[in-house]
Amino acid sequence: MFINALARDPSLESFRQEVRDFCAARIGPELRKKLDLGQHLTKEEYDGWLQALGEKGWLGGNWPREAGGQGWSAEEAAIFREETGRAGAPWLVPFGVTMVGPVIYTFGTPEQKAQHLPGILKNTTWWCQGYSEPGSGSDLASLRTRAVKGVDDDGAHYRVTGQKIWTTLAHWADWCFCLVRTDPEAKPQKGISFLLIDMKSPGITVRPIITLDMGHHVNEVFFDDVRVPAENLIGEENKGWDYAKFLLANERVGVAELGSMVRYLDQLKGVLAKTMEGGKPLSESPEFQRRVAELEVQFATLEALVADQHAAHQSAADQPSLIGAAALKIRGSELQQAILQAMTDALARHGLAYQADALMAGWNGELMGPAEMAGILAEHLHRRAATIYGGSSEIQRNIIAKGALGL
Amino acid sequence: MTAFSTEERQLLSESAEAWFADRYGPEHSKKLSRDTEDGFGREEWKTYAEMGWLGLALPEAAGGSDGGLTELSILLATAGKHLAMEPLLPTLVLGAGAVAQLGTPAQQEILGKVAEGACLMALLHAEPASGFARDHVEAIAARSGDGFKLDGAKTFAIGAHAADLLVVSARIGDASGPVGLFLVPGKAEGVSLNVSPAMDGRKGAAATFSGVSLGADALLGGEEDRLAAIDALLDRGTLAACAEAVGAMHAAAATTLDYLKQRKQFGRALSEFQVIQHRLVDMNILCEETRAAVHAALTAVDEARPGAALAVARAKVQCARASRFIGGQAVQLHGGMGMTDELSASHFYKRLSVLEAQFGDGEWHLRRLIAAGAQAPASAASTTGMAAG
Repeated sequence: MFINALARDPSLESFRQEVRDFCAARIGPELRKKLDLGQHLTKEEYDGWLQALGEKGWLGGNWPREAGGQGWSAEEAAIFREETGRAGAPWLVPFGVTMVGPVIYTFGTPEQKAQHLPGILKNTTWWCQGYSEPGSGSDLASLRTRAVKGVDDDGAHYRVTGQKIWTTLAHWADWCFCLVRTDPEAKPQKGISFLLIDMKSPGITVRPIITLDMGHHVNEVFFDDVRVPAENLIGEENKGWDYAKFLLANERVGVAELGSMVRYLDQLKGVLAKTMEGGKPLSESPEFQRRVAELEVQFATLEALVADQHAAHQSAADQPSLIGAAALKIRGSELQQAILQAMTDALARHGLAYQADALMAGWNGELMGPAEMAGILAEHLHRRAATIYGGSSEIQRNIIAKGALGL
Repeated sequence: MTAFSTEERQLLSESAEAWFADRYGPEHSKKLSRDTEDGFGREEWKTYAEMGWLGLALPEAAGGSDGGLTELSILLATAGKHLAMEPLLPTLVLGAGAVAQLGTPAQQEILGKVAEGACLMALLHAEPASGFARDHVEAIAARSGDGFKLDGAKTFAIGAHAADLLVVSARIGDASGPVGLFLVPGKAEGVSLNVSPAMDGRKGAAATFSGVSLGADALLGGEEDRLAAIDALLDRGTLAACAEAVGAMHAAAATTLDYLKQRKQFGRALSEFQVIQHRLVDMNILCEETRAAVHAALTAVDEARPGAALAVARAKVQCARASRFIGGQAVQLHGGMGMTDELSASHFYKRLSVLEAQFGDGEWHLRRLIAAGAQAPASAASTTGMAAG
């Protein structure tokens, strides 16, 4: 169909305002300052914000009511993401509420739901994602972390041995949802299971990976004969790939990261107004004016595509295809990088000094350039990964080639 | 200047490559960057002096070899390939370059110290309000007795933190005075340095000058306006940065190729996928194009051909685009590993990002070409012999 868009629901605008007001009221001046400078937040600072959202019932707002959510429509969820992004609120850490939560409320046992969902909805437990391995990146199904079933005095369990990599925030996580190989004889996708692993289990080692922005976001996680109770298996053994695919499909429209881009575009305009060339601000430079206009065209197009996907989702009986998500991921990540590159190009007028230490709380040196410079440069470097994580742009194009074009 | 023979250039290239290949590499760069106060190697600097590299483009009277920017660029391309941390470009091309070009006979004596490795230098010209514009100078060297009193602020420049002697631009007398270049000891009273790493880990500093007392002999040459000379100096810096980038982009492309040949996914090497092959081909074409463009501009500069400045701008536009593509793809094609501080891909990405921006980025040089009316028809737009300019 040429037009997928549904008529606009006016009640959504009051929700939009409510989210705005909440952000304004609940992001205090101290946190506001750190966010504006792009400083690294502590776990406690994330908790402060995410738990406030949890109490409001918004953290899992798009979960169905029976799972403890608000049953938001895709549009409501999008408004929430956009407005928190626009407000520059702390990152909505996705591993619990966006990723494993829906898997648990859809496929979990009553015990698993009772054990895990409240902590996810209130952000009192932190999760990390044990997918990628050193030898299994784009080719995730080749993963080799072994889980061997057995029985001891304490009951049925798995013994897990292997290594995961790029595990974001594993150093803060209480739990890890992990893809493990339970049947090495089966075809790659058929022998994988989905396990919930307590990060305090003996035999787990978390080792930091320092990335090009000099930050510590990701880790290697080593599992050395880690005992995992059998009741921590999600669904059926060897069906883990299906749950992983469900998780991916469930995440689909969020991948465009519209909220963060609204913020980036605002920041770009601020940077251009504050950065001088020949005594005049770059906001008066025709080259940068053109560049901002180009980026806004791309953003508007992406926004329209996201709205179209929501509408398709609501009007069609079946789920929107992964094709749409793949296209959103490609365009969203490329646009994020393009806006950050434009900011970096402007800020290069300050010699590309990179005061990474200024991103640590309590730093009291003298900043160079606009106050937000170090944070923006860090974000620029960090988001080079946007076209790599969550399925690289190359893999997303393969998905479209195969799935949509039948190649 | 005496042009080196082809054999001499070859020899220089081989000896530099042999030394850097033996002594340098990402691990060594990282160690220097993080474990030393200067962020580079003082021992390495001594070796450069002993090898005669610091004097490559300095006059024979200063103990140099009287070579051109081409000779210096052979060294810098090798340094770029191996991620060398020492402030070769700021000291040799900008600092010593300014002194050689403008200095009085007494000031020229500094060059001997540079060649010996006893004087590190840096140029502080850009200011918070100048951006890449080369003619916006607000710093003032007011007359004070026989000499000057310097006030002003200069933007972050790599190498400025460790410079024994800074070359600082300022208006002579008052805000409407001509722009002169001043020799300012890095440790002079009233010089305040805000030291930081650049994005690529090389250290540098932004500077504030508050009533810095300078003798009459601090002014390089006479009191004429030096904006044209500064423009020429920055063009030499531009081209030297391009040379360093050419070395870095070749190394980035090479390490990416190596990685993709050994990294297996879906049961075969990633290098066997056609989309990857084409990307690698594009990276390598860009490397060769850029090398050729930079070489052509070097010849134009060293032979003082008409339009040499435009050849530099064209080389920089080409180099900036190639740097962005190759650096970005080096990270992208390495996947997650490209994001790590451990592998060299991220270091080449950051080095190329910094070199891309130094002395004006591609967009800025493109605007310069437009301003120069250089949109000549293709037949006249050769990078070596332009009629325009």
